[in-house]
Amino acid sequence: MGRVTNRIRRLRFDHGEMTQEELANKVGCTRQTIIALEQGKYVPSIDLAFRVARAFGAPLEEIFQYEDKKQ
Amino acid sequence: MAPLQKRALFCLAIGLIFVIALITVFLLEGDVTAFNRDETLRYMVYAVLIGVPLTYLILIDLTLRKPRQVDERDRLIMLKSGRIQWLAIIFSFAAWTITLTEVYREERQIPVVFLTLLFMFTLIISILAQSFGILLYYWRMDRGQSN
Repeated sequence: MGRVTNRIRRLRFDHGEMTQEELANKVGCTRQTIIALEQGKYVPSIDLAFRVARAFGAPLEEIFQYEDKKQ
Repeated sequence: MAPLQKRALFCLAIGLIFVIALITVFLLEGDVTAFNRDETLRYMVYAVLIGVPLTYLILIDLTLRKPRQVDERDRLIMLKSGRIQWLAIIFSFAAWTITLTEVYREERQIPVVFLTLLFMFTLIISILAQSFGILLYYWRMDRGQSN
């Protein structure tokens, strides 16, 4: 099994230091889920992943990456 | 701490207090047949029977209806906690069956009070196990990418 990583923390910083709460409100989830996503402790559903991508106005693959363990 | 996690913790704590109080009362009364003799004890048991599901309804079930309080991660954890709940119920039934069979094997019948106790115990175990399951899966998720 591989691992899904993301650049949410970086993108929040690039978007005027958007807070976790603001992002959570934009994408319709709790702040705790944003924290879990940033820490790589939760892999979002495809639906939430698209909502996060839309909130940053970026394509999905620019935010989420799949890392194979063998690499 | 996520809202659902907080509520599961409260639910577990309140449920455990109910259970400990009930066990203490039964121990002080001597045995389960006190249920038939003591009217106060019976009403206490009924209060627990209604109180625990009501606590669950207020703390967990109503939380799930608020869109800002729960999201897909919480719902996933709720779903996974069902596994703990199911296991707890099965094992508690097994424990009851073995214990009652062994204790009342000679008499070939069990006091009718055990019907009430068995139902009540299963109900409480079910709610406690779900709260415990919610906390367990939050903890496991916090430890790493586990979904």
